[in-house]
Amino acid sequence: MTSREILALLVVAVPALAAALAAAAPRRHVHVVAIVGAFASSAAAAALSIVALSAPGAPLVEHWVVVDAAAGLLVGVIGIVGLTAVLVSPAYLASSTTGLVRPERRPRMFYALVFCFWAILAAIPLVGNLGGAWLLVEATTAASALLVGFGGKPRALEAAWKYLILTSLGLGVALLGIVVLAAGSAHGGLDALSWRELAHIHSKHALIAYLLLLAGLASKVGWAPVHNWLPDAHSEAPAPVSALLSAALLPAVLLVAWRSSQALTPVIGASAAQSVLVGFGLLSLAVAVPFLWQPMAWKRLLAYSSLEHMGVIALGIGFGTPLALAGVAVHVVGHALAKALGFYAATPLIGHEPRAAGHAVRGIGRTQGPLGWVLGISLGSLAGLPPSPLFASEVLIVAGGFAAGRPWTAAASAALLALGFLGLAHTLIDTVAGKAPARDRTAPGLRGVVLLTSVAVPCLLGLTAAALWLPGSAIARALVQGIR
Amino acid sequence: MSGALVWLLVALGLGVVVVRRRSLAVTLVTAQALVLAVSAAQNNAAPAAVLAVRAVALGALLLLVVSRTREPRPVRAGIAPIARAGLAVGFALALTWLVPSIGLDSRNAERGVLALIAFGITAAATRRATLFQVMGIVLCENGLALAALELPGGSSTAIELGVAFDLTLVAVVAAVFHEKIFAEFGAGDTAALRSLRD
Repeated sequence: MTSREILALLVVAVPALAAALAAAAPRRHVHVVAIVGAFASSAAAAALSIVALSAPGAPLVEHWVVVDAAAGLLVGVIGIVGLTAVLVSPAYLASSTTGLVRPERRPRMFYALVFCFWAILAAIPLVGNLGGAWLLVEATTAASALLVGFGGKPRALEAAWKYLILTSLGLGVALLGIVVLAAGSAHGGLDALSWRELAHIHSKHALIAYLLLLAGLASKVGWAPVHNWLPDAHSEAPAPVSALLSAALLPAVLLVAWRSSQALTPVIGASAAQSVLVGFGLLSLAVAVPFLWQPMAWKRLLAYSSLEHMGVIALGIGFGTPLALAGVAVHVVGHALAKALGFYAATPLIGHEPRAAGHAVRGIGRTQGPLGWVLGISLGSLAGLPPSPLFASEVLIVAGGFAAGRPWTAAASAALLALGFLGLAHTLIDTVAGKAPARDRTAPGLRGVVLLTSVAVPCLLGLTAAALWLPGSAIARALVQGIR
Repeated sequence: MSGALVWLLVALGLGVVVVRRRSLAVTLVTAQALVLAVSAAQNNAAPAAVLAVRAVALGALLLLVVSRTREPRPVRAGIAPIARAGLAVGFALALTWLVPSIGLDSRNAERGVLALIAFGITAAATRRATLFQVMGIVLCENGLALAALELPGGSSTAIELGVAFDLTLVAVVAAVFHEKIFAEFGAGDTAALRSLRD
C-alpha cells in the first residue's frame, strides 16, 4: 500500500473506530472519547487534504481509491465540519429534552451515529468507483436519517421520514442510471464503473443513464425541483447535524455528480454533460431566492440558503472553466465554514430566544451582542457580502460562465445572486439590528460558538485572499482535468 | 428470464399498489424478491443467495413491524384502489414510452423494470400508510434487482450484496421511525406528518 492509500484508509477508519468507542464508552467519559476521536479523525483528514492539495498534478487513481485535489478539498471540509460539530455537541445534548432514545443512552447513540456518518461521508470523495460511491451515498441516508429525527419531536420525525423516503426513492432512480451504464460496459461488474473506465463505455444509452443518475443524485444534493426534504431536515435536525448535512453531505454527493459528469463527458459530450448541471443550478437558484426574502425561522432560512449555494456550485461545475472551478473550490470551503457557524449559533439563539425555533426573530444583536455578531458574520458571509469568500467565489463562477460561452446563463445567475443577496441582507439587518423585545442575556453554549467564530473569521478572510490566487494555480488545473 | 416470469413480477408489484392489508403487501414484495432469487439461481448462485437472504430478512422485519404496530383501523389511502392501479399503470406506460431501450438483454425485462419502478413510486406517493411507502422503495429496488440480473454480462455479486445491505439498513431505519410515528400519533399514517410547510 502507498502512503496515500494508507492515509485514505485512516480517514475512514479513524472515525469508524471513534464510533465504536463512543458506543462502548462509559457514560461519564463519552464526551471526552468523542472529542478525542474528533481531533484524531480531523487530523487524519487534514493530513490527506494537505498531501492531496500539495501535489494536485499527481493524483492517485486506482479502481477503488482516488486521492486527487477534489477529494483533498472535500475530505478537508468534512474534517473541519466534523470536528466543530462534535465540539459544539455537548451544548446541544445538554439543552435537548427529548430524543429517539432514553436520556441515559442519548450521548452515546448521538456520537456513535455522528462518527458513523462522518466515516461514510469521508469515504465518498475517496472512492474510485461510481457503484461504490452510490452504495456510500445510500448508506449516509440511514445514519443521517436517524440523526435528523434524533430530537424525537413530531416535527423531527416528519422531517426524518420525508428525508428517508424521498432520498431513497431518488437514489433508486440513480441506481437505474448506474445499471444502464453497466449494461453498456464490455466486461460488467464493479470494475467497469470505476471513474476511469466510465470514459470508455460504449453505450448509446449513456445519455439516458447520465440523466437518470443526475436526477437521482439531485434528490440527495437537494437540487430543485427535488429539494422538498431539504428545508425540513436541515431545520429540524440537531444543530451539529444540520451543519454536517449542509456543509459536508451535500457537497460530497455533489462531488459524485461532478465526477460522473467529468467521467462521462467523452461518451455523451461536454455540452450535454454540463448543460444538465447548469439547468439544475439555475433552477435551484430560482427556487431558493424567493424564500430568502421571506421572514422565517433561522435554521429554515439557512436550509434555503443551502439550496441556493448548491445551485451556485452546480453552475460552477456546469460552466467547467478554470475560473468557475476555482470559484467552486472556494465556494465549497467558504459555504461550509459560514453555514456551519450559522447552524452552531442556532443552539444559543434558541436558548436566548425560544421563538427562534419556529419563527423569524429580530434584534438579537441588541439583546445579546456577541450572538448578534456570530449571526451577522455567518449570514453576511452566506449572502456574499464583501469581503466574504462567497462574494469572490460567486464572481469567479459568473466570470467562468462568461468564459465558457454561456453569457445568458451567467447573466441570469448574476441577477438571481443579486436578488438572493438583497433578501439575505434584509434578514441580516432585521435579525441583528432590528427592533427587539425585552429578553434576558442567557444564551447556552455561546462561549464555544464565539470561540469558533474567532477562528473562522481569519480563515474566511484567508479564503478570500486565496480566491485571487486560485484560478491560475495547479489546483484549478487539476480540478479542470478531473480523473483521466 | 422468461417473459412470463417478468409479468408475474409486474403483477405482484401491481398488487402492492392495490391491496389494503399491510401483511398481504409484505407477502407480495417478499414473493417478488424470491421469484427474482430463483430466477437468478439458474445463472449464478451467489447473487441468487444474496437476493434470497435479503427477501427473507426484509419480509421478516416488515412482518414483525406489522405485528408490533397493529392499526386500530386501516389507514385509508385517500385514492381508491382502482384509481391507484390506473395511476400506476399509466405511469408505467408513460415511462416505457419516455425511456427508450436501456440496454438490457430483453425488451420484456426493460418494460418490467420500468413498470416496477413506476409502481414503487406510485405506492410511495399515493399510500398514506408509512409501511406502504417503505414497500414502495422495496418495489423499486426489486425492479433494479431485475435490471441487474438482466445485464448482458450478468449481475455482480458485489453490487447485489451492497444494494441488499443498504436496502436492509434503510428498511431498519424506516421501521424505527414507523414505530416512533405510531407511538407518537397512534397510527402509521403520514397524514399526521404535515406540519412542515412554507
